[in-house]
Amino acid sequence: MGHTAVAAITAVLLAWSTAAVAQDVRITTFKGSSTFTLNGETFTVIRNPDTSAVITGDFARTSRACPPDCLQPMVAATGVATLGELEVLAFLETAVTEGRGLLIDARASDDYATGAIPGSVNIPAITLSAENRFRKDILRALGAVDINDETMTFDGAMDLTFYGGGAWSSDAPDAISYLIEAGYPPSKLRFYRGGLQAWLSVGLSILLSPNG
Amino acid sequence: MIRIVVALTAFAVFVCALIVFRPFGGDDTQVADRLGTPVEVTPEVANVAEDIATEATRAATPDITSVVDAALAATTPLITDPDTGLIDAPRRVDVARPNTDDTHLNDMTNNVLAELGFAGVEPVTTNSQVLRESTSEILAGIEAATGQRSVLQERDTLEAIVVAALRSGTSDEDIDTMVNEAAAAGTVAVPEILVTSDGRVDTHVLLDNIIVQAQIAAGGPAPAIPDVSPDEVDGMEVRIVQQATDTVQARFYTVQRGDSLGAISIKFFGSIEHFEAIFEANRGLLSSPDRIRVGQRLVIPQLDEA
Repeated sequence: MGHTAVAAITAVLLAWSTAAVAQDVRITTFKGSSTFTLNGETFTVIRNPDTSAVITGDFARTSRACPPDCLQPMVAATGVATLGELEVLAFLETAVTEGRGLLIDARASDDYATGAIPGSVNIPAITLSAENRFRKDILRALGAVDINDETMTFDGAMDLTFYGGGAWSSDAPDAISYLIEAGYPPSKLRFYRGGLQAWLSVGLSILLSPNG
Repeated sequence: MIRIVVALTAFAVFVCALIVFRPFGGDDTQVADRLGTPVEVTPEVANVAEDIATEATRAATPDITSVVDAALAATTPLITDPDTGLIDAPRRVDVARPNTDDTHLNDMTNNVLAELGFAGVEPVTTNSQVLRESTSEILAGIEAATGQRSVLQERDTLEAIVVAALRSGTSDEDIDTMVNEAAAAGTVAVPEILVTSDGRVDTHVLLDNIIVQAQIAAGGPAPAIPDVSPDEVDGMEVRIVQQATDTVQARFYTVQRGDSLGAISIKFFGSIEHFEAIFEANRGLLSSPDRIRVGQRLVIPQLDEA
C-alpha cells in the first residue's frame, strides 16, 4: 500500500518535471501564453523560457536622472485604475480584442520604434497636451464626438490603458492628466505603472519593430 | 487655568462660527472680477447670461461669456487635492488670447515669401508642421489599430490666409480684420510674439516682418537699430544704474495697449530678431511671450555687441 503511494507520487513528480522542461516559465500556473487580436491581427505573448535570461540594454539601467525621470505615485489620477502585467494582458484579451479598448504607449515615437508591448499604439504624451492644437483630431480618433465647437462627449470613447518606459517615467501619468483635463472620463483610463521596464523584467514578449 | 482654556476655546469656536456662517455677509454672493467691478452672481443670472450668450451676435458673445466665465471661476470653491492635502490655485481670470503655437515668426514669414515665389527663399519646416505631421502619424497608428478611418481635419493656417490676402491685394486693414476674426474663432494659431496686450493679433508686426525679410532676400540691408529716446516713446524710461565698476543706462518700457512683444522688439531694436533677449530679461514677469499685459514694466536689455 505504502509502496503504491510512493510510486504514484514519483510518477506525478516525473510527469511534472517533464512538462516543466517543455514549458518552464509560464505566465501563471494555469496560463502559458496570452493571445489577443487587434483589428484582425493576432498577437501571442509568452514569457522568455530561458531561466537564466537577464535584462540587457537600456532597460537594465536603474538610475536615470531625476528630474526629468522621477518615480511616479501608484495612482496616476483619482478614478484611474493602476494595473499590473496580468491586468494588462486581460485588457488586451478582452477590451482590445473586442475593439473597445486600446493599449497606449505614451513614450516618444523614437523610443516606441525600438520596441513596444505587442498590440500597443503610440501616442506620445506631449501630443495630448492642450499645446497641440491638433489634439481634438486624436480625441475624435479615440471615439470622442463633437457636441459643439467647445465641448466633446466621451460616451462612446474607447477604454485606454497607458504605459511608459517604467515607474520612473511621467509619460503615462502626464498623458492621463492631459486627457482628463480634455474631459476624458477617468473611469475609461488605466495606468500600467511598471511600463516597458517591468514588462521586460519578467520576460514578457515585446514587438521589436511595432511600426511594421 | 482651566477657566482661561475654556474661555479661549469658546472664543475660537465663536470666531470659527463667524467665518463659516458669515451672519453679516448677506444672502447673495458678492464677487469681484480682477478689475474690481462687483458682479452679482445668482444661478438665475448665470443661466440668463448663458442664454443670452448663445443667442447674441458673435461680436457680443466674448464679453458676456467672459463675464460669465469670470463669475463662475470666482464662485468655484477651492478644491483640495485628496492625496497631497494641498489646495489647487483658483483659475486666473485673464483676457481671451488667440491660440498660439511655437512657430517662429521668421519661419512663417519665410514660408509666405517662398509661397509667393520670392527668388532664393526656400520653405522651411515650422514647429507647427512638425506637430501636424506627428499627429498625422498617431492618427495612422490609431486607424491601423481600430480600423476606423481617422484623418487630420484640414484647417486654415495663418500662412495660407496671409498668402491669399497678399496675392489678391487685400488692404492691411482687411488683413487685420481677417486674421483677427480667424484667431478669435480659434481656427488658426499664431506665433506667440504677435499676441498683443489686449489679446489681438499684431498684423502690423506680421506684415512689417514680411517686408523686412523680402528686402533682405532681395539683397537689402537688415534694419538698423534705431535711436530711441523717452521723449518719442510713450512708456519708456531711462535710469542711470551704478554698477561695481561703471555706470550703466538701464532702459525700461511700460507695456501699452495693443503692444506685442514683436512690436516692442521693433520699437527698440528695429526688427523682431531680439524679442528673445527682451523675453529672457523679463522672465520674472512673462511666463511666455504671448502673456504681455498693459502696465507691465519691462526691462529693455543691452545687446552684447559681438
